[in-house]
Amino acid sequence: MPHPDPQAHRPPTADSASGPLAPAPGWRLVRRPHGHVDFVDGAGRVFTDVDVLRAFPVTAPQGPVAIVSADGDELAWLDSLDNVPEALQSSLIAELATREFLPLIERIEAISDDDPQAWSVVTDRGQRRFILASIDDIDRLPDGSAFVVDATGVRYRIAAVAALDPTSLRLLEKTME
Amino acid sequence: MASRPPFPASTDSSAGVPGTPWGSAFVLGTGESVIATATFDLDAGMRFTEGFLCLTDRRIIADPPASLEPDRASPAPSSGPVWWHLDDTSSLDLRIRGGVGRIELLAAGRVVARWLFSLAQAKGMHALKDAFEQLPSRQRQRIPRPAAAHLSTGTDETDGSEPDEGGDATHPEPHAIHRRDQAGDDDADDLPTTGTPSWRMLVRLAPFARPYLGPALVGLGLSLVGTVAALVPPYLTMPLVDGVLIPRQAGEAVPFSLVWWYLGGLVIAAVVAWILSWAQLWVLAWVSERVAAELRVKTYAHMQSLSLDFFAVKRTGDLISRISNDTDQINNFLSINLIGFLSDCLLVLLTAGVLVWLNPVLALVTLVPFPLVVWLVYLVRGRLQRGFSRSNIAWAEVASVLADTIPGIRVVKAFAQERREIDRFRSANDHVLQANDRVNTVWAFFGPMVSLFSEAGLLVVWAAGAWMVFQGSVTVGGLTAFLAYIARFYSRVESMVRMVPAAQRASASAQRLFEIIDCRPTVAEDPRPVRPGRVRGRIELSGVHFRYGTREILRGIDLVIEPGEMIGLVGSSGSGKSTLANLVCRFFDPSSGTVSVDGTDLRRMAVTDYRRNLGCVLQEPLLFFGSVAENIAYGCPDAGTERVVAAARAAGAHEFILSLPNGYDSRVGERGGSLSGGERQRVSIARALLVDPAILILDEATSAVDAETEVVIQSAIDHLVKGRTTIAIAHRLSTLRRADRLVVLDAGRIVEIGTHDELLSRDGAYARLYNAQSQAAAEAAAGP
Repeated sequence: MPHPDPQAHRPPTADSASGPLAPAPGWRLVRRPHGHVDFVDGAGRVFTDVDVLRAFPVTAPQGPVAIVSADGDELAWLDSLDNVPEALQSSLIAELATREFLPLIERIEAISDDDPQAWSVVTDRGQRRFILASIDDIDRLPDGSAFVVDATGVRYRIAAVAALDPTSLRLLEKTME
Repeated sequence: MASRPPFPASTDSSAGVPGTPWGSAFVLGTGESVIATATFDLDAGMRFTEGFLCLTDRRIIADPPASLEPDRASPAPSSGPVWWHLDDTSSLDLRIRGGVGRIELLAAGRVVARWLFSLAQAKGMHALKDAFEQLPSRQRQRIPRPAAAHLSTGTDETDGSEPDEGGDATHPEPHAIHRRDQAGDDDADDLPTTGTPSWRMLVRLAPFARPYLGPALVGLGLSLVGTVAALVPPYLTMPLVDGVLIPRQAGEAVPFSLVWWYLGGLVIAAVVAWILSWAQLWVLAWVSERVAAELRVKTYAHMQSLSLDFFAVKRTGDLISRISNDTDQINNFLSINLIGFLSDCLLVLLTAGVLVWLNPVLALVTLVPFPLVVWLVYLVRGRLQRGFSRSNIAWAEVASVLADTIPGIRVVKAFAQERREIDRFRSANDHVLQANDRVNTVWAFFGPMVSLFSEAGLLVVWAAGAWMVFQGSVTVGGLTAFLAYIARFYSRVESMVRMVPAAQRASASAQRLFEIIDCRPTVAEDPRPVRPGRVRGRIELSGVHFRYGTREILRGIDLVIEPGEMIGLVGSSGSGKSTLANLVCRFFDPSSGTVSVDGTDLRRMAVTDYRRNLGCVLQEPLLFFGSVAENIAYGCPDAGTERVVAAARAAGAHEFILSLPNGYDSRVGERGGSLSGGERQRVSIARALLVDPAILILDEATSAVDAETEVVIQSAIDHLVKGRTTIAIAHRLSTLRRADRLVVLDAGRIVEIGTHDELLSRDGAYARLYNAQSQAAAEAAAGP
């Protein structure tokens, strides 16, 4: 079973002794009741209720994945899920899915003229109204998608701005002016 | 002193004019060369005066002799220049206190002359003093000799006991010393006061339009044809009146179809004129947008090339306003006014031609008020130019208040100074109001005045025309056409006149932009620079002096830092630690002495190539708007995610970054700056690590964070410094424990060098600092 080699990701100057906790070979994840996941390292130490996180959820959503203890210490690092055995891969993807909340905006129903703007949208997770603190919080990516972060920090994604229906597009373009 | 000749800007004695009529002390001996000159501008009573100091390799010459103390026998100004032989003098003492500088010449421990000067002359005086101290004759210790003597003839050079080479009597080749013309000094901050530079400024815009020459010419061509088309309609009214309407009124049988023909011609001319002017406006607006955009980018790019001292004195808001507001003014001028002006000029000339051709006498009568209009334009132009300059400066002031207080809003609120900032803004805004009022007053008077003149022109034509119709020398149709042309003529003159304020406004803006473009970086690139590539990192400072304004910050630093060595710079605030680091970064050049890396003077290296070898971690880690990953990769934007993560790991930033809502893609920076000081600092360490610098500057990298965070950062820094030449500055001496050597600075000089233990055992300046700090720490620990 391939496992991440943390040494490979250190800069040459880094002192490996004081780096993040290096997982020994052969770690595994154990699913617990209540949806918790435990991490068991090669030495048999158990870390309860760990988190599986994407390091670059926006720019490299299929990229590196980190497993982090409840205290925030890094336990394992995977450059990608592609080379991971299938069983682990599916359990990691399942874990990621429970931690990724990224509603997809399908339609924009209204954007108020006030400042800050109140948005009323339909997402793949239902209807939603939120306040947009500033138009800086709309982040259009080169691939034509966009992220919208509301005043409370919730992120929404627009898969393809150009593919929105004309009304939504018009509302969005008006905001960006 | 009226006989004093003008003072050419040359210190080269060979450029002299022999046989000058003023003081003979200004005649140099053979082989004597001028090393430095300076101006002193205050007399003993601190009143402005005009005086001049000249240092040659043999003498110090002063004219007038000195701003002597009142109790001394002050020589009358007419007594001419005085000199002191260098061998007779022991030192020059320079001091600046409370806006007045004093330079004293000492001989045998006694002040022989004292000159006072304002801060305006400080730079020159410092240079003169430096030059004096670096003279070879200074290096040897001389026996001081008693005071100065007046020089009576140009050949009386051998006053000292040591004979001068050659002797001037046998080689009568005197050279005159020339004075630099102080009055000609340009003061960049002065308002443009006359209209003359305005056109020059606008002409300087031309190179920016060169890439768009083709479209611009097309636009001009369109405007030419459009103008001619606009001239056709009045011409058609003439036969309409004379050949159709009047004969018909007189009872002749004229077919109505002729009216249709003429009307058709009028409609076609109007439509053609409309289409052409539409196309012309569009094309030229397209060009002017691009010219303004080019100007904006050019100004910004040039600003980026300027050295740090430029940004130290300029206000952010002012610069922002120049780049945004002023380029817009120019764009407006180019797209609306300039084009209008050109087609107006054309139309006025053509109309004038048609008028003369139709009826020379009537045309002459018509043009009577025209010179008055020209005179008015001349009168108003200067006022408007000044008004617009003021207006732009007032706008910049408004922008400055904003640029100050928006980033500083926490300070404003913490001190409850909102009211005061509002008042400050109001006052800046009032300045805009006043400046605009002034312009409006002039313009409100001027615009209608021009209309009055054109009305008067029409009246004159009516009167003269009616009389000529009575005389039979003009037909009614001719007069109608004439009146139509005249109306056009004056409406175009009016709009031409409207161009005057627009041109003044644009030229005031252009001037503000060219002020930036004309600034030269003080850290100048060598014309044929050495491209260092990757340096090894051996840093050598020899005889480095640095002066900022009038303050001497470094006074002769000699230091060699070996590759891979970590140097800790220690000293009280203002001892010159950061300045030394800035010199190594080549943010500034030393006033004298050299900083070299791997044996090459930094001034000879390509600046950006060299800086690629540098990593900086500063006290205030500034992150830009963008994601954490973008900030870490700032020095190396194409670094992949792996390198970013590796750098973050080594900087101890990886785990807290993972805990952010979007990991490495979380936004930080100006808005949403949700990171703590220590976290920001670790991101900035990762940023420095990613570029893998050969030379590392740590300027108070840990002083803004608490002791616990410092431990985390310190271990990150320990990764960072390995294998790199490091200059670390820290107040907390504990953070320098890894340094190979500590360099203790005091008042711009190195006072001690050694390891921590060596310096402690020496019981000198470092030991005092260290003990004071440990005592303070102990007291804090023991405190309640």
